[in-house]
Formats: sequence, C-alpha cells, structure tokens
Amino acid sequence: MKNFLKENGLWVLFAAAVIAVGLAVLSYFSNNSPLESLVGTVTSPFRTAYSAVANWVTDKQNYYEDTKALKEENEDLKKQIADMQDQIRQAKSDSEENKRLRELLNLQEQRRDLQTVSAYVTEQSASNWTSSLTLNQGTDSGVQEGSCVITESGYLVGVVDKAGPNWCTVLTVLDTDTSLGAKVFRTNDLGIASGDFNLMSQGRLKLSYLTSGSQLLNGDQIVTSGQGGFYPSGLIIGTVEEVKLDDSGATSYAVLKPSADIPELTEVFVIKSFRIVD
Amino acid sequence: MLARSETLMKWLLYALAALVCCMAQGLVLQRLLFFGVFPFLYPALAAVLSTLEGAVPGTVFSLVLGIVCDLALPGPIPCLYTLVFPLAGLASALIAQNWIKNGFLCALVASACAMILTDLLQMLILLLQRREFWPAAPLLMLKETALTLPFVLPVYLLMAAVYRRCHRYD
Repeated sequence: MKNFLKENGLWVLFAAAVIAVGLAVLSYFSNNSPLESLVGTVTSPFRTAYSAVANWVTDKQNYYEDTKALKEENEDLKKQIADMQDQIRQAKSDSEENKRLRELLNLQEQRRDLQTVSAYVTEQSASNWTSSLTLNQGTDSGVQEGSCVITESGYLVGVVDKAGPNWCTVLTVLDTDTSLGAKVFRTNDLGIASGDFNLMSQGRLKLSYLTSGSQLLNGDQIVTSGQGGFYPSGLIIGTVEEVKLDDSGATSYAVLKPSADIPELTEVFVIKSFRIVD
Repeated sequence: MLARSETLMKWLLYALAALVCCMAQGLVLQRLLFFGVFPFLYPALAAVLSTLEGAVPGTVFSLVLGIVCDLALPGPIPCLYTLVFPLAGLASALIAQNWIKNGFLCALVASACAMILTDLLQMLILLLQRREFWPAAPLLMLKETALTLPFVLPVYLLMAAVYRRCHRYD
C-alpha cells in the first residue's frame, strides 16, 4: 500500500483533481447531476430511517420532559388552587364581616348616641327552658348587666343578664324574663314587649298592655320606647304578625316576630353606653 | 370500707366522668335539636350516680353538680339546680334501695324521675311568676324527658365502670 501510494500517488491525486473539476463543471451546467441523484437515491432510505429513529428518540425525550414538566405544573396548579380556595374562603369571611361592619358603621352614623363593642356568640341556649346566648365579651370590654345587644342592622337581640371579665350571658327578647318598654313605630302607641313561654318555642314574643284605642296592623314595626332610660330608644324589636284577644277577651295583645334571626347569630354588638335622646 | 386514698380516687374518677358528660352536653347534645328540644343530661347524671352510690354520697354529689349548673347555666332563679338536684339524687337512691334492683333499668327510671322533678320545679317557678306556660311547658317536659332517656345508657355505662373499678373488693 505504501509502495502503491509512492509509485502512483501523483496519478491518484491527478485523477481526483480531474474528477473534482469534472463534478464542479457538471454541477455548474446541470441543476441535478446524475451522480448526485444516484447518491441521493441510495442514501435516502438511510436518511429516512435515521430521521425516523432520531424523531422517535426526540419524541420520547420530549414526552418524558413534557410529562415531568406537566407533573410539576400540575402540582403547582394544585397548590395554587388550594391557595386560591383558601383565599376565596377568607374573602367570603372578610366580605361578610365587611358587610356587617358597613351596616354597623351606617347604624353608628345614624345612631351617634350608641357606643358598641362587637362580640361573638360562643354558645346558644344551654337550657330548653330559657332563650339565651353566651358572648365572648365581658366587663373588661365595658359590658354590663342590662346592656342591650343588637345586630349590625340595629335589631334588638336581648339584654345582658350576667357578665364576667371576658364573657356575658344574654337573655334574648324571646326569654320569659325579658320585658321591654316598646312602641309602635307607625302610631307611637306604647306597650310592653316580653317573652312568653308558649310563644318561645315558635321563636315569637308578645306585645301587651296596649292602650285601648291602639290600632295595630300586621307588619307594624315595634321599637324600644326608651322610656325610663334603662334601654336606648328606637331599637327594632320586631314586626306584628298577629293581633289576638287574651283569655279574658277584654284586652288584645300582638304576637311579634323578632327582626333578629336569633338561632343564626354569630356576631352581635353590645351597647356599652347611650345618650338619652328626647 | 374504702381507704381514704381510694375514696379520693373514686370521687376524682366520678368527677372526670361527670366532666366528660358535661363536655358531651356542651359540644354535641346542645346542637342536636329534635322538634326544637335538645337532650339535657345533668339531672340524669345526678340520678345515675345516686342509684349506684346510695343516698348520702349521691345527694352530696348532686348538690355539687347543682351548684356548678347554677353557676354555668341560665335559669329562672339563681338556685334552681342547687335545690332540685339533691332532691332528685335522694329520690333516685330511694328508688334503688326500695323499689327497683340496682342496674340500668333502675338508672333509667331514676333519670326519668329526676328530669320530671327538675321540669316540675321550672313549671312551679313559671306559675309563681304568673307566666302563661300551659300547654307549652308540660309538652316541653315530655319531649325533654323522652329525648334524654336514650342518653342515660352511655352515662350509666360510664358511671358503672367507675363504680365497678372502685368497689371491686367490696
């Protein structure tokens, strides 16, 4: 081989140069040379096969990478969904609190004579024979026995019965021990709103001691009269549902539906102090 | 006759069992409203223990339970449970000693009596306060008693377990 290259090297080089020049001339004068075509035809299946294999490998690689990325993305999205659901829950809670506080603000703008403290209901009635609530605010926050408890809309819930440093129990307007001076908002007729044992289980209370000429209509709004200065005036107790005659048949009383939805209460406001408005 | 330390341990266990019942009342039973009424375990608690332990220890336990209930629960008068629970405890012990053999049936009957006594006193107070209570109050008494009686079984099992543990050498 060494000898062959030594003896015929120049000839081989010359032949290669001639072929190269020939191919260059051929390609110059023709777009698709027969030789090139031949080589392309021969190599085409190999290229196809190579390409197919390369594509398959690339596909598999992409599939693996995509799956891995998708799994990671899925995990991230799940976390995001959980975070967002948490935010939605928080937003709902904030929104409800905001609504309550707006209503309270509105009430406080209307009733500048009232000073309130917010409290959460920690326990509904602990006995079947009373209608009471336990709140998480007490004397440390200025709550006293006899303080009125209202909702954010100004509906009367009840009156504080006992108060400790960080708790108080409230007898609701439905309880038999609750008795409040009341008046009919439309006519200013006076009466006494009090709990009645027969009505308590139905979630209703009674308006009695009405003046003889009073004309009550169903739907009439009943508010606190404020007479005597024990309780603020104008707190909404409820609406007249039915007017009835008592057992003697001589006097009438009204069955009131309280405006506050007592079994559903979660947050209330205790009136710490109020100015007597004439 | 139990030694002093054993007696102390016995009442400590009874107190713990009563605490469990009170927690069950506050956490669960008060939220189980059937026809607007929930079960009320406290009179049953006094009655069951009195049937097991007898008149004097039962009455003393009932008195303590009554004081705790009056301090924690709202009532028409400040000493409602202090008055009625010792009476219910004494009545329960008498039922166990004289009428029905001590056991679950005795505890059930004693609990029913304790519930009725408690609710009758509530009605008497309403009557004295000249409040209208007919027919809602007797109806409430029936509903409350009927609703509480099924829960006497777990109370009895718990108290009887403490009783058996503390009186095994009697």
